[in-house]
Amino acid sequence: MLLTGERTFDPAPFDAISYDLCARRSDVVILSADLSKYCQVVRVKNELPEQHLDVGMAEQNLLSVAAGVAKGGYIPIATCFACYITRRAYDQMMICMGTGSGPGTNRTHGPTNIAVGFTPGIANPARIHHQAAEDLGMVRAIPNAAVIDPMDSTDFRAALDAAVERPGLTYIRGHRGNTPRLLDPAQFTFELGKTYRLREGSGIGIIATGHASQWALEASDLLQDRGVDHSLLHVPTIKPVNEIEIADFSFAHHRVVTIENHQIVTGLGSLVAEIVSDVGGGPRITRMGLPNRWAPGGTLPYIRAQLGLDAQTLAMRIEGLAR
Amino acid sequence: MNRKRSRSGVSILELEIVAAKIRRNVLEICRGQGGYAAQGVALADIAATLYFDEMRPDGKGWFFDRFILSNGHDAIMTYGALAESGHYEMEDLKTINADGSWVDQSPIEGQPGFEITAGSLGQGPSQAAGLAWALRRQGSNARVHCLFSDGELQEGNVWEGAMFAGHQRLSNLCYIVDNNDMQASGHTRKIMSVEPVDEKFEAFGFKTRRIQGTSVADLLDAFEDARATTDKPFAMICDTKPWDGIDCLQKAQPLAHFTAKDAVKWDEGIAEIDAEIERLEAERTQ
Repeated sequence: MLLTGERTFDPAPFDAISYDLCARRSDVVILSADLSKYCQVVRVKNELPEQHLDVGMAEQNLLSVAAGVAKGGYIPIATCFACYITRRAYDQMMICMGTGSGPGTNRTHGPTNIAVGFTPGIANPARIHHQAAEDLGMVRAIPNAAVIDPMDSTDFRAALDAAVERPGLTYIRGHRGNTPRLLDPAQFTFELGKTYRLREGSGIGIIATGHASQWALEASDLLQDRGVDHSLLHVPTIKPVNEIEIADFSFAHHRVVTIENHQIVTGLGSLVAEIVSDVGGGPRITRMGLPNRWAPGGTLPYIRAQLGLDAQTLAMRIEGLAR
Repeated sequence: MNRKRSRSGVSILELEIVAAKIRRNVLEICRGQGGYAAQGVALADIAATLYFDEMRPDGKGWFFDRFILSNGHDAIMTYGALAESGHYEMEDLKTINADGSWVDQSPIEGQPGFEITAGSLGQGPSQAAGLAWALRRQGSNARVHCLFSDGELQEGNVWEGAMFAGHQRLSNLCYIVDNNDMQASGHTRKIMSVEPVDEKFEAFGFKTRRIQGTSVADLLDAFEDARATTDKPFAMICDTKPWDGIDCLQKAQPLAHFTAKDAVKWDEGIAEIDAEIERLEAERTQ
């Protein structure tokens, strides 16, 4: 059982993750673009100031300076809101951080470059400009990049530990503020590309990632109460994606539902549809997530309810498909 | 000030001969498929000074100091210089821009001589500043040089990097601005003026020096000035003209951004350079 029985919350996951990593590895540098406090980079900034670098409110600079720091022998972890680190500085992410390692470049093992995007999707209350609803699609389009959307603080910590060991660009969606501890650190071992069965059943197969894996668990609890047979697969690694595990899971169910804190265009739902259609003859896939229209702002529960992504509505929508 | 000694002890005349040979390499490389010949020719003195004097060898066949080329178009300068230093073969370089050739016109990070992928302009200054920050933190005394063009100064990322370098007082960093008043569609001063370039960098916390980019003596002085500046980064604004040194390029294309292979009488240019090399070598034997 990968899940913990008792659900507790971590008030500032990245503060501890970044501090522990920097304390363990003096070659890691956390970069901020005037948002250190808002990405919960506090202890590193105050207690390990030599491993913190603020480049000012300049996201292109954040990623290009980070790429230079990587070329100087350090492991940069650029932190910012997901909307800015991807949308505003996409070219720097691709060209400066993403072209130094892997097939098609000049090196098999180039510098490590890490970017962490906080408050992704509707995890930010300010609508449109602060909500990154397309970052997974953007970064998964970059050859050789790794893209990870962790579901809780355990997953987040493990993803970062994996990223520092990997050459090339890794993009991780971050969690901040009260973040649930859902995965049991004693049972859960993160591997890049691995998928995780959180609920075993048949009938409907639910595939989720990131924040939406929390939402899917909430809906799964309700579905269990209602006796709706289903499975739940958590897919933290969007790229390099494990096509075999996703195909095996999908074809083992007569209907597949994807849930993501991202547009249903270009994100997890699109990815699963690509994999299943490449095989051919698979189950029907229903994509749940942010629609390709501007999401509302406000609190996360409010936005989820507006988009039909609250636990009750999700469970009802899935139950409807099961009939 | 017109110093007669370089950092390594090589003479100005020797560096001028190297620069002429780099110009010759540039034309030889470009004649087959066309290329950014005018830029390579104009930057030959900067390349000779940088690669053959300013950047110290690492004892392992490469350079101890670091060079970031921000403007991918100017890779031809590095190719011309690294052919002269023996790091590249002319036969390989002559395949530049040909289908299937591994010699990229605008190279990708990790190819010898190219620390960054530089085809998307304006991204070198920040990366060079990040590298300089990292080297300083390591306690290394390696210096970082970054070449970019005046056209790139229209990119906001350049000024973000300059702001960071100035704020961090990265005295191990030297920006070399190829101020050639030329960009893809015409004269920089007409499209979007970036002058006064020196005053702009001073306002961002740099010590600056404005020099003639084709004067080896000026370049040696500026590099010495940069090394002697210990409390801030340095920017040398090198005024150049795209065709500097080669009459046939100027005649062929007054606005030579990309020189097509049929646009120029390459033999004429090479003969011109050969005569210059002969003259300089005669001066050496006097």
